[in-house]
Amino acid sequence: MRRSPILTLVYGLVLAVGLFILSSVAVSKRVPSAAEPGRVAVPSTSPSPSSSPSPSPPPLAKVNAVWAGEVDGGGASIAISVKDGVAVAYLCDGKKTEVWLQGTAENGKLSLVSKKGTVLTGTFGGGKATGTISGSGQSWSFTIAVAAPPSGLYRSTANVRNAQVVCGWIRLANGRTVGICDNGGTPEAAPPLDTTRTSPIDPKAVT
Amino acid sequence: MTLKLLWAPLLLGAAVTVTLGVYANLHSPTGIAVNLAGFSGPMPAKAWLATACLALVLVQLVSALVMYGKLGIEAPSWIPALHRWSGRVAFLVAIPVAVHCLYALGFSSFDTRTLVHSLLGCLVFGVFTVKMLALPKHGLSGWVLPLLGGLVFVAFVGLWLTSSLWFFTTFGVKI
Repeated sequence: MRRSPILTLVYGLVLAVGLFILSSVAVSKRVPSAAEPGRVAVPSTSPSPSSSPSPSPPPLAKVNAVWAGEVDGGGASIAISVKDGVAVAYLCDGKKTEVWLQGTAENGKLSLVSKKGTVLTGTFGGGKATGTISGSGQSWSFTIAVAAPPSGLYRSTANVRNAQVVCGWIRLANGRTVGICDNGGTPEAAPPLDTTRTSPIDPKAVT
Repeated sequence: MTLKLLWAPLLLGAAVTVTLGVYANLHSPTGIAVNLAGFSGPMPAKAWLATACLALVLVQLVSALVMYGKLGIEAPSWIPALHRWSGRVAFLVAIPVAVHCLYALGFSSFDTRTLVHSLLGCLVFGVFTVKMLALPKHGLSGWVLPLLGGLVFVAFVGLWLTSSLWFFTTFGVKI
């Protein structure tokens, strides 16, 4: 009887260790591309033109594409822009939640991560991208379609009074735009998107 | 006397809390972990497991109050067993939730909610460890176990409010 509280702790510890092992097995099965960051796509001799996204790229071709849409449940919007396999994703609810993620889009697989450790994993092909984003105690899943200009992902950076202001906008196919500006760490609603002044994002130029 | 009996549990409990916090910070979150069948995703699964745990934790509070005679009723003979078993089950139900938090998401200070949640998550298992290790000791002052139990209760309710309640109010009640 006197030992039973200690046994409770031991059983809990054993269960936790078991779940950690199962989790590491689950991870090694699910994201092989993230586990091999050194992997580089062979340069294609005829890169697909950046204006026409390649929905189902042949293996090893460098991917150029833009997808945009709402996450499942409609709580936020997400856009993913890819240039030569370099991917940037932006999740934004237009109020206070936003996440920028960077990574790769290769061989039909998306693998991106944010500076704070939020992870996006997914697949693409056939004009769609689908996957999940999780981190900071939150998670979203999405299936979004190829976005034709002017819909897509926009970003601007400016220095205002010694603070860097980074704004992101997602323009959806139905013309609706959501955006947030991060003013030195404080998220606020972005001003209306002016596509004559702000250009679609260049994934390779994002730092 | 109480302090002499408690220093080892306190030290171990602190070690648990610090270990969880350090691990959650150092391990780079994977975004995925082993999943539970029957739910649409890891988040609803966690929200519901934590809610089940909250129900058991409320049983803990009421059964403890009865045992200490605070509700003005004679404690039925099965109350101590109910307290022990609801506690054990609550602890085991909380483990998969905590493992997913630690492995897939990590310590987060993204906003106040996630910061409070991360801190309480590390704290709750430390205090629970102290409580478990203190239980078999004879000669503790009367306030020790109610205080430790109360701390676990408060920390867990805080955890639930900053996770499950947030999840249900943000994404809706879904399985």
